[in-house]
Amino acid sequence: MSKVYFSCWRGEIVDNRGKPKEEWAESAFNFPENYNIDVASKAFIGWDGFALFDENVDVVRLAAEYAKQYQLYSEACGRCAPGRWGGRILYDLFDKIARGEGEKSDLEHLKEVSKTMMETSKCEIGKTVPKPLLDIMEHFSEEIESLIREKRASKDYGKEVNYIAKVTAPCMDACPAHVDIPAYIEGVRDLRFDDSLQATRKTMPLAHTCGRVCPHPCEDACRRANLDEPISIMELKRIGADFEDEHSLFWLHPKEQKPLNGKKVAIIGAGPAGLTGAYYLALEGVACDVYEELPVLGGEVAVGVPEYRMPVEKYNKDIEAVSSLEGVRFITGKRVNAEDMRRFEKEYDAILVATGTRISKKVRAQNEREEIRGYWPAINFLDCINLYVKYGIEVPKEIREKQNLDLDKPYVDLSGKTLVCVGGGFTSMDVVRCAVRANAEKVIMLYRRDEATIIRNTTYEEYHEAVEEGVEFIFYSAVEEIITDEKDNLKALKVNRFELIPDPDGGRPQLKKIEGADFIIECDYLVPAVSQSADLSHLPEEWEIEMTSWGTIKTDGKTYMSSRKGVFAAGDCEYGPMTIVNAVGQAKRAASVISRYVHSGEVTLTDEEIMEDHLRSLKVYDKKEKITGWLPGLPRAVSEKLTVEERKDNNKEVNLGFTQEEAIAEAERCMRCYYIAMVAI
Amino acid sequence: MIKFYIDSKEVTAERGETILQVARREGIYIPTMCYLPKVKPIESCRLCVVEVEGVEGFVLSCQTPATPDIRVITNSKELFAHRQNIMRLYDVNHPLECGVCDKSGECELQNKTLEFMVDSQEFSARDQKRDIKDWKYIQYDPSLCILCEKCVHVCNEVIGDDAIEIEYGGYKSKIVPKDAPTLDCTFCGECIAVCPVGALISKDFQYSANAWELKRIPAACAHCSAACHLYYETKHTSISDPSPKIYRVKNEYEFTNLCGAGRFGFDFENRGAKRDEVEFERALEAFKRADTIKFTSYITNEEALILQRLKEKYGYRLVNEEALAYKRFLENFSKTSGKSLYRADNREIHESNFVISVGTALKSDNPRVRFSFNNAIKMNKGGGIYFHPIKDPVIESLGKSLVSVNHKPLKEEAALYLVLDMFASKESLPKELSQYLDSLRYEKEKIVEETVKEKVTQKVKKKVKDEETGEEKEVEVEETKMVPKKVKKSITVEHTRLLDMLDAPEDFTDRLEKILSKREKSVLILGEDLYTHPRAENLARLAGLIDRHTDFEVMIIPPRTNSLGVALICDLDEESGEFAVGYNREADYVLSATGDGDLDMPALNQQEGTITNVDRRVVPTNVALPYEGYVLNDIARALGVSEYENTIDFTKDLPTERGYRGIEFDDLENYFTNAMEEKRGYLLEIKEVESAQGDIEEIAELPEFNGTVVYRCEPVLQFSPFTAKSHQLSFGGSLVGSAQFALAAKLKDGDSVVVRFGNKEIERLFRIDTEMKGTVGILECFDMGLSYFDILSDYRYKVTKITKKS
Repeated sequence: MSKVYFSCWRGEIVDNRGKPKEEWAESAFNFPENYNIDVASKAFIGWDGFALFDENVDVVRLAAEYAKQYQLYSEACGRCAPGRWGGRILYDLFDKIARGEGEKSDLEHLKEVSKTMMETSKCEIGKTVPKPLLDIMEHFSEEIESLIREKRASKDYGKEVNYIAKVTAPCMDACPAHVDIPAYIEGVRDLRFDDSLQATRKTMPLAHTCGRVCPHPCEDACRRANLDEPISIMELKRIGADFEDEHSLFWLHPKEQKPLNGKKVAIIGAGPAGLTGAYYLALEGVACDVYEELPVLGGEVAVGVPEYRMPVEKYNKDIEAVSSLEGVRFITGKRVNAEDMRRFEKEYDAILVATGTRISKKVRAQNEREEIRGYWPAINFLDCINLYVKYGIEVPKEIREKQNLDLDKPYVDLSGKTLVCVGGGFTSMDVVRCAVRANAEKVIMLYRRDEATIIRNTTYEEYHEAVEEGVEFIFYSAVEEIITDEKDNLKALKVNRFELIPDPDGGRPQLKKIEGADFIIECDYLVPAVSQSADLSHLPEEWEIEMTSWGTIKTDGKTYMSSRKGVFAAGDCEYGPMTIVNAVGQAKRAASVISRYVHSGEVTLTDEEIMEDHLRSLKVYDKKEKITGWLPGLPRAVSEKLTVEERKDNNKEVNLGFTQEEAIAEAERCMRCYYIAMVAI
Repeated sequence: MIKFYIDSKEVTAERGETILQVARREGIYIPTMCYLPKVKPIESCRLCVVEVEGVEGFVLSCQTPATPDIRVITNSKELFAHRQNIMRLYDVNHPLECGVCDKSGECELQNKTLEFMVDSQEFSARDQKRDIKDWKYIQYDPSLCILCEKCVHVCNEVIGDDAIEIEYGGYKSKIVPKDAPTLDCTFCGECIAVCPVGALISKDFQYSANAWELKRIPAACAHCSAACHLYYETKHTSISDPSPKIYRVKNEYEFTNLCGAGRFGFDFENRGAKRDEVEFERALEAFKRADTIKFTSYITNEEALILQRLKEKYGYRLVNEEALAYKRFLENFSKTSGKSLYRADNREIHESNFVISVGTALKSDNPRVRFSFNNAIKMNKGGGIYFHPIKDPVIESLGKSLVSVNHKPLKEEAALYLVLDMFASKESLPKELSQYLDSLRYEKEKIVEETVKEKVTQKVKKKVKDEETGEEKEVEVEETKMVPKKVKKSITVEHTRLLDMLDAPEDFTDRLEKILSKREKSVLILGEDLYTHPRAENLARLAGLIDRHTDFEVMIIPPRTNSLGVALICDLDEESGEFAVGYNREADYVLSATGDGDLDMPALNQQEGTITNVDRRVVPTNVALPYEGYVLNDIARALGVSEYENTIDFTKDLPTERGYRGIEFDDLENYFTNAMEEKRGYLLEIKEVESAQGDIEEIAELPEFNGTVVYRCEPVLQFSPFTAKSHQLSFGGSLVGSAQFALAAKLKDGDSVVVRFGNKEIERLFRIDTEMKGTVGILECFDMGLSYFDILSDYRYKVTKITKKS
């Protein structure tokens, strides 16, 4: 909700002209009324309309400035005739009117050019820029015509007004890392794969990884879905990265690294957030020491995500890109404790905590105890499997003993064993599919809710591939009790069944236990993979760092500084268990804030970042928007996958990626939905 | 097949075919400004928008593949209005200099401005100074440029030079040389051809004629065996001289390509020839006295047939060494392949994704084949191997997936054996051969570099608080780190000695592994180096086996314009006799099209007839400039072997047993369809012939060259004394070498030298090419006059004696 003087956005018009401010009706949209804490906005203008927060806004100047922003944008493009020349004319004519030199015929020309731009421009930016301009001409025609009649300059013409603009797109907005998606897709389309990768790396250093295992929230905000099917955004990302790799073009950084400036930052954790933080800090000339508890780099993605889904060789390429920068130093096998943290605070200019969430939560069953032989928390289970598969690091003897494994084998071999996993998210999928590959005789997934939810929580592909590989899914079920023998070996599970009772008031349906439907599963292992929590025992108690109610580090979600000055947090340890791309986005932002903080001691955001957050709250993607100018019905390209037989007993990468032809065809479906938003303050 | 409708006409599309492609194929007009069928859609002009029933807004037809049952409307009031507005925008500030613009009369901007009835510049914007650029043969005027991007796309996607790019800057955008201060490319001039306006033009043509005054003569390019389609455009020379002159060459740039030699080297005609009856009598006497006719392959099929008829009647020895070597190569190829001719053509290469080239300096020898090769690598994301002793940066720049193998001269047998070894199905190969290949294999230690993580334990001093005493004390703590480290490891791999013989790069197998996994359609290109090779016979037979036992299609590039025609039509002899008549050759009596012989003959731009090109296509060419002297048919008539009035009456008589068809010249087609089909003449028929598997020899140990070795190879844009004669390409040949070559031959850049080989000697200027590597020099010979044709019989690599001219 926003209080506006006048607004026109997605079909809603709020007109408070002539009314006293107290009586102003509100708009349903979250416009950036306040630019930041101490600066109010005067007006907002964007691809779908505009909003005025104060009655004294010079709308003609606003329109001219908006057209100018497009002109500035097209300085970097200019790739279609309507955009290149049309944009120029929009600006020239509005400026002419604002100067007081406008003529009536200019309005006609403006309308005509606008119409052609809206119908024929190459990308959405050219198609949408005229929209708010036409809205202004329609709703403020009297103001405009009086300027023309009286040959008068508009009231703010030539005065200092601050206009701040940002280019966005629905997919970019939805991406937690705000990756310039249309740019990297355009790179693929134009066979300029180096440009494509550099566009990705502007905000996303893990191009290989997020080209393979990202849950792609962007694809849920792809406008192409309004027409037919969303673009295969994620998979197009790896094209540039694979190109760099195949052609040994190391490394295509988004810009030249600045010389080291003597400042240094300690980063705790070398997972996606830690790596991202190091990458962008180092690019800005800030040295980073990255401390990692595990013997390998990459955090949960390295030891959690299985080889078949994310070959470590590819992840290592992303990591090498980070370590290729001067000033990045990795210290592995080092568990940071409170004492270290106290020392770091003195030795470094800032600290970025990026330790993730590595404690598997319990399933809350009776008799649930860590000591049970066969009770194996997901994180540790995946560590054991993947450290061996990917790095050849043997499973520690004490774990092998505790989990009743073959002591002669240095790795996890589940031959003849039955494994039950309780979960429903990505981690549990990794557990069951790794278990299949570790030769388990039977693998069962227990999930409280239904199939549709598991697909929503993970991906369609992930679920179906698991089913194909023979994982048995039991829905609407939960473990009530863990049954053990005299030697404390896990023997069986007592499982309850549930049904879904719809809420008569239309709320979320409730799960209700079905009495008498309990059953027993005999099994050797129970792997709890319901969720994870953060281990923050390394934070000195006296720092009294504020925590969220779910035990993660509290920040403002914008600058990512914790309650203690100079200590920042990003990734799962801040947000709770979430995605790689979320960790990347947070760490990228934190790195940007830290890169200024180390010099000034101030915590600030750039205009670009402030606008990013405003747009996120306004929401760029409109699910209901009708798409015009594109022919529907072109199917989304699907890349080739290994067949079940080819994949289920090994760790070969399942997804073979697009062929060049498929990639280009898919890139051709992209509608380049760039938009410009601008705020006057 | 997808069925749909355009303007209520039912049409069908292949999967992935765009609406515009179908419309063009069906002859339905949709206006475009930036569309170029031979490159990927550029999508900058937006003129090709169409309506689709049921779809709101306009759909871009060049980019949108057809979907079933849609109904496309190509024109409506609204579409017209938008296209008109786009043209108004295109016309913003476009200089009104049509009166002096070279493009006037054939300008797409002019045409579309007219078509959409834009009669005034309603909008304008403040302009800026834009400097005209001088790029050697090309001039670029940024104020005329409409940024359609066709030139940039054609240069990268079709030609492969990737020499220009757009400097983006919105309204200030312009075309600039890519990563270079000025244009540095192979000067094919395709950018001029595709430019829809007067922004990129030929400097030579500028201000010389209006487009509409020129007469267009369709012809085949005379310079190399691609015999590309082109138009000579002629007009009278001047007010005082009404005789026609060629002003420029144009091509069907939407469908086909032309290199710079064809585009800029057009005025090689034999000007001013007259019917000198006295000389003609002398010529007849020479023929009566002669026992030999020496000739070149710069002749038409019909002339070749006349020479054959002369031989049949009078028993002349027909001597054309280069064509004879090629003919023998083809015959030996047939012996093992079982086909009368090779099968691959440029389209085949264009569509392939794996190409191997052996024995040709592709950049110079056949630009057309290079363009096709570029497409295979760049557009089809293919790969390839370029076997050649001289490293060529232009070829290597086609892509990283092209592996260059710079072997020593004379090692080509190993290259062909390697192709067999890598790609032939071993079971079907003759037993001795697979045994031989096996015998070349051995196990080799290979050092591989791996990155491993190494545990490093460091002792670090740390201050620790003693919990009991509360004192701080320094203790040594061990800190372990995993440090990535490159280690060398030795593994055993199977290796073939062939790779050693070829000096293949260490990473040859590794680099190819990935490329080969994607291999679908493959072509082997063979070139001129092989035909005069001491082991030519065995090489040809190996090529035949490759054709037979691998999935490679083979192309055997004819070394000169019509070598294939001559090889098929004439029975050639090895040695000259006592008295020879030369047709463009130095001899006892010389018929010459270069104007310096005893009796004048017409050059190929003054003749009509057909040429058999590298694609096995019999293509027609026409008379661009009148010729008033005698032609070969006149001699044939006088000697009683022709009753025909015109040379082209022989077209229908070309030997059908060699694959020709009995079609009259005037019935030959000569155009391209909108679907990009080439309708020029006809293709030679390939026949099955008797074949045998045997008679393949093992690789011969040839003595290595000692001394200063040079390679006969012409610079880009030059092919022969004919290109050398044209005014735009009037530069001389050089001896070119690397710094290493200069050192070995004790030469400095700019030295005048005398190069001696066999019984020839020529004077050259020595030039160091910093991009060249190795010790083989390049000897350019195209400007030697008719004596050039005498040196074509030798192996292209030769040991020479080079002395500085005092």
